[in-house]
Amino acid sequence: MTAIFPPPSSAAAERLLSPEELEAALREIGAKRYHNLHPFHRLLHDGKLSKDQVRAWALNRYYYQAMIPVKDAALLARLPEASLRRVWRQRIVDHDGDHEGDGGIERWLKLAEGVGFERDYVLSTKGILSATRFSVDAYVHFVSERSLLEAIASSLTEMFSPTIISERVAGMLKNYDFITKETLAYFDKRLTQAPRDADFALDYVKRHAVTPEQQRAAMDALTFKCNVLWTQLDALYFAYVAPGMVPPDAWQPGEGLVPEKAVAPAAGAAGTGGIGAGDVPRLPRGVRMRFDEVRKKHVLLAPERTFDLDDNAVAVLTLVDGQRSVADIAARLAETYNADRAVIEADILVMLNDLATKRVLER
Amino acid sequence: MNALAPNPRPDIPAPVGLLAELTHRCPLRCPYCSNPLELDRRSRELDTGTWQRVLTEAAGLGILHVHLSGGEPTARDDIVDITATCARLGLYSNLITSGVGKAIDKLQALYDAGLDHVQLSVQGVDAQNAEKIGGLRNAQPQKLAFAEKVTGLGLPLTLNSVIHRGNIHEVEGFIDLAVKLGAKRLEVAHTQYYGWAYVNRAALMPNKADVDASIRIVEAARERLKGQLVIDLVVPDYYAKYPKACAGGWGRKLMNVTPGGKVLPCHAAETIPGLEFWYVTEHSLGDIWANAPAFTAYRGTDWMKEPCRSCDRREKDWGGCRCQALALAGDAAATDPACSLSPLHAKVRALATEEAAETPPDYTYRTIGANIRTPVKEDAPL
Repeated sequence: MTAIFPPPSSAAAERLLSPEELEAALREIGAKRYHNLHPFHRLLHDGKLSKDQVRAWALNRYYYQAMIPVKDAALLARLPEASLRRVWRQRIVDHDGDHEGDGGIERWLKLAEGVGFERDYVLSTKGILSATRFSVDAYVHFVSERSLLEAIASSLTEMFSPTIISERVAGMLKNYDFITKETLAYFDKRLTQAPRDADFALDYVKRHAVTPEQQRAAMDALTFKCNVLWTQLDALYFAYVAPGMVPPDAWQPGEGLVPEKAVAPAAGAAGTGGIGAGDVPRLPRGVRMRFDEVRKKHVLLAPERTFDLDDNAVAVLTLVDGQRSVADIAARLAETYNADRAVIEADILVMLNDLATKRVLER
Repeated sequence: MNALAPNPRPDIPAPVGLLAELTHRCPLRCPYCSNPLELDRRSRELDTGTWQRVLTEAAGLGILHVHLSGGEPTARDDIVDITATCARLGLYSNLITSGVGKAIDKLQALYDAGLDHVQLSVQGVDAQNAEKIGGLRNAQPQKLAFAEKVTGLGLPLTLNSVIHRGNIHEVEGFIDLAVKLGAKRLEVAHTQYYGWAYVNRAALMPNKADVDASIRIVEAARERLKGQLVIDLVVPDYYAKYPKACAGGWGRKLMNVTPGGKVLPCHAAETIPGLEFWYVTEHSLGDIWANAPAFTAYRGTDWMKEPCRSCDRREKDWGGCRCQALALAGDAAATDPACSLSPLHAKVRALATEEAAETPPDYTYRTIGANIRTPVKEDAPL
């Protein structure tokens, strides 16, 4: 592949970069080409898309989500060392889950269902744009056929994704009344998963790209991946925003949706209902978090059920003490994890309200 | 942690729940009781020290929830001590009670001992109907007073209603009652036909239309009461498309210790002839989980026949219920006839439909020392 996008200067491309310079060059690619800059994404974040445009995005993006483990399995098959495979296989677990109803793909399906789609219609992928299919398939082929270094480097868009995911949660919560907090459950996990994945891949690329040619190949691979994402949004924009040319076989508004039914809004019950930033959440008697020594993980024990907790949930629930408000908890976490307080607050409200609906958290 | 290796077979996932049937004594006589037809007498019950050892082993093995059940668990003099032991070990204690008799008098002490949760059975909404089903006069006011005391103490309350022909018209009422009593959860559990319920099946089996209506009522209420009341629904097997994963799969999640110390993979497992059960008085809980022949017999999928063996649901429902397979198909390793893929499914459903259409016979009430055998009907085995 010829270099579409030369890093800092063409002179720099000729010489061997230090690992730090390489990282800076890779980050520069994201700063210019990552799809958070795409006009479609700006519309999405700013709440300017119609419900049908959000649906088109959720439907198409499902194909990308669904093929990620296929891509990772192809990469995994080429990793020569058990230590590398152990790390990489976690991505497949994250996406596919450990059991039915678990994992990133499932959570994306929930999002698609949350905006009104029939599950089977989404699974069939028959309504997606050809451009979506072509770009995603090109990505899978790239990872299967290029060098291992390039394959791993192409995953580095994850370096840029934590920010955009947070923006998405906060932006959509704020702006779309048809998106419920439960629908956005997908994003709870990605916030910790994405940085962990990217750290490993970045470290690998920095250690294995040791000639100018290899460094160049890594940068090209990342550029390619940015284009895979960008192209998908181009196609969405073209079909569903302007000029609005939907290809003959692609999804048309109204297709593949669950018939809407009139549902009475849930009555606010004493002690529960919507938990807001100013509320003080607490675990009532009969609900407690403990560390399970045998399985080496935290669990939330509740009447007739046990919730497995991920690191995010443990961090939040450790601070739920019947004294701190949600805003206090968010501020504390923002400080600990050096993250945006408003973003964290929006995220933990999703989680706390979910637990409240299940009657294991009160205010 | 005790000196014995807690789980001698770490390749077998540890159990999560222990159903501790502390006693078979119970003031109620419900005709669908899940206890075996042959009930343990008081003289055979394990003593306090043995239960405390069992609980210690359970915690070491990885069990998280302990269901203190029976019979009526508060009929045991040491129920408070046993609850305190659970609390000390970090085990989540769930009292499964009828709420009658001594239950209410012991509640404060149970609360102080660290009890986590109360599951109260309610047989009906209308007092007369409820007391006919439970076979005990004046039970309903006791239950209502008990429920009030539970929520008054701030303990989480679940109401459990076993649904059958005699109360299926009260489903809406159960939901209202749960809300009125301040319960956080309600279990609308259609009868599962083992043990006493199998004996009384003709008296209990509802018809399909009533079952469907009950499901619709629950679904509407879930939406209406979201955030206020969680409703768990167990649909009746005979009308289902796929069977349920009995006890979460044989030897996968649960252990059941009987009043006399026999350890079962599920509460009806004793109905399967030829299974060898081990006792807590002779083996540690970890040893039993890993090695007792009753637990290894149907664990996993190796024992399966077709259509289960090649079915892609085999690790979802684990072939359904072994006891029901035995009762209905005459073979504990057969596909549960509740499954639509079983060759016997159509007959089972026809049988349910037929029984539900007939005038219900009188209940055979649960009694200790009753000389009742599972009736050999023309349908057993089908």
